[in-house]
Amino acid sequence: MAMMRTSVKHLAVVAAIAGAFTLGNAVASRAEDAPAGDPVNGKRLYLADGCFECHGRAGQGGRFNYLTPALAQIALPVESFIAFLREAPNDMPSFSADVLSDKDAADIHAYLSSLPGRRDAKDIPPILNQ
Amino acid sequence: MSKRSSSRRDGAPDSSRRNFLKGATIAGAAALGTPAAANTAISGFPEQRRKAALPGPRLAAADASPPPADPVNQSSSGGDFMVDVLKTLDIDYLAMNCASSFRGLHEAVINHGDNKKPEIITCPHEEIAVHMGQGYAKIEGKPLAMICHGVVGLQHASMAMYNAWCDRVPVIVMGGNIMEADKRAPGAEWPHSAIDPAALTRDFVKWDDQPASLQHFAESALRAYKISTTPPMAPVMLSLDQELQENPIENRDRLRIPKFTPATAPQGDDAALAQLAKMLVAAENPVILCDRMARTPAGMPRLVELAETLQCAVIDNYGRMNFPSRHPLNQSFRRSILSQADLIVAMEVNDIWGSLSDFHDRIVRSSEPRYKKTAKIVALGTRGLYMKANYQDLGRYQDVDLDIAGDAEASLPVLIEQVKRGIDEGRKAVFEARGKKLAAAKLATVEQAKLDATIGWDASPITTARLCAELYSQIKDEDWSLVGTSIGLSWPHRLWNFTKPYQWNGLAGGGGVGYTLPASLGAALANKRHGRLTVAIGGDGDFMFVPSTLWTAAHHQIPLLYIVHNNRAYHQEYMYLQAMAARHGRGITNADIGTTLKDPFVDYATVAKGFGVYGEGPISDPNALAPALKRAIAMVKSGQPALLDVVMDQR
Repeated sequence: MAMMRTSVKHLAVVAAIAGAFTLGNAVASRAEDAPAGDPVNGKRLYLADGCFECHGRAGQGGRFNYLTPALAQIALPVESFIAFLREAPNDMPSFSADVLSDKDAADIHAYLSSLPGRRDAKDIPPILNQ
Repeated sequence: MSKRSSSRRDGAPDSSRRNFLKGATIAGAAALGTPAAANTAISGFPEQRRKAALPGPRLAAADASPPPADPVNQSSSGGDFMVDVLKTLDIDYLAMNCASSFRGLHEAVINHGDNKKPEIITCPHEEIAVHMGQGYAKIEGKPLAMICHGVVGLQHASMAMYNAWCDRVPVIVMGGNIMEADKRAPGAEWPHSAIDPAALTRDFVKWDDQPASLQHFAESALRAYKISTTPPMAPVMLSLDQELQENPIENRDRLRIPKFTPATAPQGDDAALAQLAKMLVAAENPVILCDRMARTPAGMPRLVELAETLQCAVIDNYGRMNFPSRHPLNQSFRRSILSQADLIVAMEVNDIWGSLSDFHDRIVRSSEPRYKKTAKIVALGTRGLYMKANYQDLGRYQDVDLDIAGDAEASLPVLIEQVKRGIDEGRKAVFEARGKKLAAAKLATVEQAKLDATIGWDASPITTARLCAELYSQIKDEDWSLVGTSIGLSWPHRLWNFTKPYQWNGLAGGGGVGYTLPASLGAALANKRHGRLTVAIGGDGDFMFVPSTLWTAAHHQIPLLYIVHNNRAYHQEYMYLQAMAARHGRGITNADIGTTLKDPFVDYATVAKGFGVYGEGPISDPNALAPALKRAIAMVKSGQPALLDVVMDQR
């Protein structure tokens, strides 16, 4: 039971971080402190390590046991992103440094930051037709 | 008991093929070698051969009597009568894969029944036949019948029957059998016969029987139909003795087809509905949660009337076409509002606990309710009226404050009347303010969905959002019906404007893979007579279970646009395996092993062409999608099925 309470409390904390993905309300990224990310290697890892399975190759989001957040133009700072990966909430798998180093995670972050995000729907006729 | 077997008991000579075969067997054995040689080989003590006895007077008389009756023609059969019974039930189709155990009924359907009501739908697999029935019933509002071979055919059909059971859909399942052991031919008829064939599926049908006479069949067929179509609906199973189907009818005039009267749907108790009405009127933030609520075209307008009267939120689990997708009160993609609800009314929701809980699939599995402790929960539905023990589709037990056993759609008129009676001007003003807030939130949700759909618009593999946007853009002015989706309830239900009862028909029910293609075809069969444009989006993994469904589509010329969501994986399992690898901190690049469909990729368009269906693909270029959709839609509008293989991202 103690373990359960701890788990729920922990989830509440990490869930708050998870909100930063989609709400875009993260604190300003401290770019000068962050590991320099390589988006090319990040793309390779994003596909090889299975991130795309839930979040889409274009970072458009998707669905696992629930809707999964879009990651293109990620709002979460890289340090928070790495911390999130280490102890992810809900059904998101946690990736330890043994399988995904901080450097690799930073590369993935750089790739996600490079992905084009939402566009103006008025430029896309099929969207206007919805 | 059949007439033929009765006459045997009376001492009549057996003229069946069994005796003929027995004689043939003896003759064959004799030809293999001389008895003398065999005896010499076995025994070291040669015996003196006994002389054959002279025939006695009885044997001599038998030899002199005329040969037993062995008629080669008959002018009637039990199968004819069975067809007469099925015609009274207004069953349009009999889906089947032909088999000897129901050859009698098969012949009667096509020749005595003129292959009309029911008309045979030829299916390459029994699972296809049942799933077609599941998809058909959810559009047409009535069941079709299917018939399968003894034992092995039913085994093929069983998973689809389970899906239909979980989905609360009526399907009239029949199966051939040879009840009497002395009537079975050597070989296949033995392993294809059973003492109790329906035992295999008894845990997931509502009722079953094995009629022992034609009169018994007539009464059981009507009973089966009534039980299957009375809420809570479910498949039923009738096992048909082969002798009963094939033997001549001795006296047709003595057989009677009973009068069929459908049972009315059970309505919730008036007092309980009045209590619920008071709770709804008094609540500040009531939420209606619905799943398999709308049984008939009347269901959706009734729910709209209730929601609009209360100006309350509706969350649709989309088990049926319950509520218009763009309605201002449709809050299905704002489930967080459950946490603010003071009253939650679950209508025909199978798994209320699952809908009201956040569950975490972690090393230590945990969950917490999505609603506040003070919220009142009311269940209205027929789910509890018929339960079985073994298979656990019942979901976890959910605490409720009021549990009304009754069909929600049938109960809505009384509930609406009671609600209207309880509203005064003060509450009306409150409701209007509440409705305006919900409408504004809905508008924002729709606009957000459109914006979200633009992410990765030009990506390849094509995003599911783009596929759905492009498809809707081309069908929205048609009389369309979406009857299957592999991408959950995300894009079509977020983007499209569903307003008509037949524009959506729910999901598999039991989650058995291999549902989407044949169930979509069944729905398309129902839509065909109404001239609707049927479209479906199905997973590649689902397709791989039942690809031969396409042959049925071509053979019966059933117009259906089927888009294969080709993500080249069993994607849900791919994600699960990724989670397992991450949990163990090892091999996170290996999750494609056993979960992906590559090396080689499947060319679904070529598969379709092989079955006689128009096929295009694989389409990977997003700019090639719209023209391909246009060509395929034109083909479907001309009355033919068409398949597009679209290489898409995962969900």
